[in-house]
Parts: sequence; structure tokens; C-alpha cells
Amino acid sequence: MKGAELGIEDLEGFFRGLLEKEVVDCLVMPHVAGKNIAYMMVTDPKRIESSPGKAIFAPSFSVNAAGIVKGWTVANKVGLVAKPCEIRAAIELVKLNQMDKDSLLLISVDCAGAFENQVYADHSDEIGEWLDSGKIEELKGKGIELREACTICDSRLADVGDIGIVRLNGDKVVVTGLTNMGEAALTALELALEDKEIERKDEKARIAEEAKKNEEALPKISSIEELEAFLQDCIVCKNCRDVCPVCYCKECFFDQPLGNPASGDLLNLAELRGAIGVPANQLFYHLTRVYHVSTTCVGCGACADACPKDIPLTRYYPVIARKVQEIFEYEPGKDVEEPLPFVVYEEEELEDKLR
Amino acid sequence: MGEEKKEGEFEPKIIGFTCNWCTYASADLAGTSRKKYPPNARIIRLMCSGRLDPMFVLKALLNGADGVFIGGCHPGECHYIKGNFYARRRIAAIRTILKQLGLDNRVRSEWISASEGDKFARVMTEMAEDLKKLGPNPMRGKIL
Repeated sequence: MKGAELGIEDLEGFFRGLLEKEVVDCLVMPHVAGKNIAYMMVTDPKRIESSPGKAIFAPSFSVNAAGIVKGWTVANKVGLVAKPCEIRAAIELVKLNQMDKDSLLLISVDCAGAFENQVYADHSDEIGEWLDSGKIEELKGKGIELREACTICDSRLADVGDIGIVRLNGDKVVVTGLTNMGEAALTALELALEDKEIERKDEKARIAEEAKKNEEALPKISSIEELEAFLQDCIVCKNCRDVCPVCYCKECFFDQPLGNPASGDLLNLAELRGAIGVPANQLFYHLTRVYHVSTTCVGCGACADACPKDIPLTRYYPVIARKVQEIFEYEPGKDVEEPLPFVVYEEEELEDKLR
Repeated sequence: MGEEKKEGEFEPKIIGFTCNWCTYASADLAGTSRKKYPPNARIIRLMCSGRLDPMFVLKALLNGADGVFIGGCHPGECHYIKGNFYARRRIAAIRTILKQLGLDNRVRSEWISASEGDKFARVMTEMAEDLKKLGPNPMRGKIL
């Protein structure tokens, strides 16, 4: 793995360079927007902000940025600078043929967990630009809590995509090329590249252990009745689908007459069953959606953030999806070459899961 | 068949999805060879088990079916070469989800070839018995 150690202030030149040397035609990256952090799409190198480190490492989650470039069919090259969960979602979208990998340069940045963007905006001075575990505890004491999805996330290090931006102590970063495309980009920037082995096995193990502990501490949904109770406030607005980076159907079943029955169709259904819940298909919608994202859910928690009824969907979608990912030994977003579980098979497998 | 049925005894409703080439034919064979099995299943014929969208399973269960049966050709013997291989992955996935919700034991899939009328009758009998022990689907009668 080739990489270069930079000061955090050098990142400005790094991102400018990507545009100036035409490594990418545009960058989708976080920027400081008032008290908050938002994404911008930038083509003019002069418009790269003066300390991009402030924005890219900021523990604020607004949207999953993979959703921004979902379904694009352009020849231009887009650089996406985002947290590992977002980069993993982008990799899943490439595999789902929703994006062309050749037109994407994926740059992941280390993440220590994030706050919902409105929480971050309210407390940005206290939270600051970078978190460590002491700080997380301190903030928690003040009632400023990380997103639930971040507390159960076990892969938040910048080791996915084409380039990883690793944050070291003391305002140093290491920019590493993770793929040929990534290394070529770094070479084009004329960075002094050297062999960098940033395995961080111990840290990874620590994060995974902590995530597992936190996941086990979450209230569980262990029966269909419990799921029904968990979803009782759902108004079937389908926001969770709209913000989900890996929900990608051109026309969702639940926007079609069969999935979203109205008028005479609904009356017929009511007649058939005697009584039906309206808006219709609340449980059917969430069960179908969890199946549809079961192999590709990266656990970013965008669904939970977007729920207007504050249903903690992180306890449902990523938790159940992981069980499915386990049976296929599949980690979404890890490897762009690894096929999606539903498009391949083994001749002998899974017989113990069928009956 | 139903002659010993007690008054008020719970009779599970099973929705069966069977492939045209194997399991549907096995049901035919069971009938023509006069095998006895309980009449709880309502069979829906698909061209291939690979046609089974797991949403069918969800919809059946949410609409009150007590069990869902899925039948296909033995792996390696699919009329369309590999439809049942894909089906197997989908069924394993949906059953894994349903397992978290305690519904997986209501969904059973079996590979039954066109010559296995016996096996079809046996599976239907077992499934009806298992579901009788399990009792009605908790979703039955709910306002969903």
C-alpha cells in the first residue's frame, strides 16, 4: 500500500490538486455550512475551503452521500469524499449497476462516530472537529449522544474505496492509495509516496468489540408481535426508503397500485379481510424492505435519522440485515469485485436454512 | 381423509408454491397414485422455484396463512438449469429474517422431483401436523 503523510492543513492542496490535475472533474465533499456540515459539489479548485479537515472529519451525519450520486450515468469523473459507511454504500451501488466504477474516485475518511446533523449544529462548539473516546463519554454525560447506528458500527476506519484518509494523532493525516485507481491519483498529485502499512488491527478489533457490546445492549425485536409494536407509529411515509443509499428500484413496489392500494382497490381489500390497517401495508412494507436491503445494508442509520416519528430503525434494518449477511459471509461494501450474494450460488450450500 | 376430524379442531392453512416441472408434477403423481395426505395446502404453480419472490411468502403470512410451502426440483436438476440455486439463496435469506421474528418454522421448502409422489404426500402430512402443534399464525385476524 502506497501513501504519504501530510499535515491536516495540506489537505486543502490535496483536494485542489485532484481538481487541478484533472484527476477528477468534480468533488462531492463536506463543507462547513454555518454551524453545520453539508455536502457540496465543487468543480472549481479555488472553491475548496481553506481547512477542509474541519469538514471532512467533523462528526456530523446529514445524508448518506452515496445516495447523491446514485443512478448517475455520466462520463465525468466524480470524486466522493465521505465516511466509510457512505463509501461502502457507493461500492454496493456499483455492484448493483447503479454507478460506473470508472467514473468514481472513492475517498474514505476516518470516522469516530457521528451525531445527527441537527444535534451537531446545536453543539458544534462543544463537539469540535474530531472525537476521541474520552470526548464521546464527556459529551454523553451532557446528553449529547452519538447516533445509534454509529455506536454499533464496526467498520469506520478509512480502509475502503480507492483512497483512505487516515487521521493520526497531532493533526497529521496519512493519505493511502487502496486501489490502482487510488494510487494513480496520488501519483498524479506528485505526492512523495512511500510504503505505508496501516493495518490498525488492534484498533479494528477494539472497535468491533465495542460495537458488538453496544448492539447487544440495544432492545431486541424478537417476534412479529414485537415488530408490530415497534412499528406502531409508522405512517408509511417511506422516508426511510428515500434516504436509504442502497434502496434503488426505479419504481418502488409500494408506490404502485398493488403495494399502495387506494380507492376501490383498498375497499376490495377491506372487504376481503373484514378490516385492514390504513395507510395500508405498514408491516408488509418494512418486511419487504428489510429483505430487499438484507445483503447490501451498510448500517449507516440514515433511515433512523429520517424517520419523522423517531422510530429507532437502526434496531431493525442493520441488525436483521447482518443476520442475512452472516449466512452468506458477505460484508457489504468491502470489496467491489466480490459478487452480490443473490447473483451467485454454490452447488451445495444452505440446506440447513430451508426447512 | 377428514373423517376423523374433531369439531373445532384447528386446521392450518398452507400456501404452497410449487414448480411446474417437479413438485407440481409430484403432487399430480401423489394424486394419481391415490396417496393420502391432508388437504391443508392450496397450491400455486410457478414455472420455477426461481420465480418465487420472497414477498409472496411475506404476503401469505401477513394475510393469515399458517404455513408456506415451497417446492422445487432437486438442486442440479432444475428445468432451467439454475433457477432453484438462486431460489435457495432467496429462501435462506427470507427464512433468516423470519427466524428473527419467530416465523421461520412456518416456512418450509423441499426439493421434490416429479417421481416423488410419496415424498410430496409425506411432506404435506408432516407440515400439517407440525403447524397444528404450532397453532394459528399470530398474524391471523390482526388488522394489518
